[in-house]
Amino acid sequence: MIELLASRYAYALMFVLMGVGMYMMIANQNLVKKLIGVNLFQTAIFLFFVAVAYVEGGSAPIVPTEGAPGAMASPLPHVIVLTAIVVGIALTAVGLALIVRIHSEYGTLREDTLREVRADE
Amino acid sequence: MIETAVAYTLAIFILLAAVATALFRDVLSAIVVFGAYSLGMAILYTFLLAPDVAMTEAAIGAGVTTILLLLTIARTTRPSTDRLFERINVPAVIVVGAFVLVLGTLLPDMYAVGTESAPIWGEQGVLTETPSLYYIENTFSDTGAQNAVSAVLASYRGFDTFGEAVVVFAAAIAVLLVLKREVFT
Amino acid sequence: MSQPDSYTNSDTYSESQVILTSVRIIAPFTLTYGMFLSLHGADTPGGSFQGGAIIGVTVLMLAFAFGIDPTRKWVKSSFIAGLITGGVTIFIATGLFTMALGGNFLEYDAIADTFGIAHYWGMEAIEVGGVALIVAGAVMTLFFATAAGFTPERHGNDTDSARSGSGPEVGRDD
Repeated sequence: MIELLASRYAYALMFVLMGVGMYMMIANQNLVKKLIGVNLFQTAIFLFFVAVAYVEGGSAPIVPTEGAPGAMASPLPHVIVLTAIVVGIALTAVGLALIVRIHSEYGTLREDTLREVRADE
Repeated sequence: MIETAVAYTLAIFILLAAVATALFRDVLSAIVVFGAYSLGMAILYTFLLAPDVAMTEAAIGAGVTTILLLLTIARTTRPSTDRLFERINVPAVIVVGAFVLVLGTLLPDMYAVGTESAPIWGEQGVLTETPSLYYIENTFSDTGAQNAVSAVLASYRGFDTFGEAVVVFAAAIAVLLVLKREVFT
Repeated sequence: MSQPDSYTNSDTYSESQVILTSVRIIAPFTLTYGMFLSLHGADTPGGSFQGGAIIGVTVLMLAFAFGIDPTRKWVKSSFIAGLITGGVTIFIATGLFTMALGGNFLEYDAIADTFGIAHYWGMEAIEVGGVALIVAGAVMTLFFATAAGFTPERHGNDTDSARSGSGPEVGRDD
């Protein structure tokens, strides 16, 4: 059990982080914290990709100009994560802009209060 | 050996920071802890041999995301509270715990982190060249760039990057649209 | 730019000698570092996504030190519009240029075959001219837009939402 966790710690961490992110999306009433939960879930997936690309005893994916490259982390998941982080912040910003709008319309950021206010209308 | 020890320590730090983010009742505290979480994640990425991803995470995850979240609570509200932690929502914990347990049963079937027999390096005993190996072996002769990540980003998967860049552009326009602004600054 | 009495944008700003001094010292280095990452990303770790983000963050840092409104006036709207649309235009133009030379979209070998310019420089054009400009511009846009918030000029003005709004965009001259 300990050995399993030690050799697969990144995947175990990813599962737990996904759980924490999901908990934040479900249980936290504040919209900003919900959005932080979305981000947390997202970084868990990024960790999975980076851990898949890792190779023990290798080097970062900078190839030498001559000679055969040795063991090296795979560049492909890195590229996917790299672009996903940038797109992630852009989408987070759109979410935050929507939150600012919601606050200016309803004067609250709590989901339960928001539901009541909308039910009253 | 020392690297593994540091990676485990970082993993524990990240886990604690994530749990603290979820449980802090004050939104400002949660945002600050989330920044620390992102920075820990960036350091873990460098230990997983992904310096490019680590730089992006440190600049964007820990930097820009934190700033935007802080600005949002400055523009809206920061609910005052006397309690330090949120009440734990038991039904949500049960649902999420079941989700994590189901995922956890997959753990023994996954390849150990960093093993060379992982599927990304090709199927065992079959001579197939995977994209990863192709990129590593041919990056320099194909493109003349030494950083394989940049080469895949700009050359092999240039069309993909084009899409990503346009998505970022579109998101910037969308933020202006949602906030009904007509100037960029 | 006139502010209504009920609202000032300075509620997020307080002048601090420590922050001012450290930003004055650090800002040139972060700008240089961002440019280094963008321009040298093909051979060392880094690249245009990181470089563009760090260039954008430099402006954010200045805004934190000197106040958002002075920075908003200093960075022209047309400048950011130029960065972000210019980046997309350069990206598309490079792709279409390779198509015009008979290759596929972004097939830099077409440039190499016609003009003898190495594949490498096609990549650099995308990285520096395309992605870095877009990301730097987008980071600044997101920051300034979020910092301004939303002005509920046509909506019910209960105290809470009136406080959350920003300086008026209506009648703003720029």
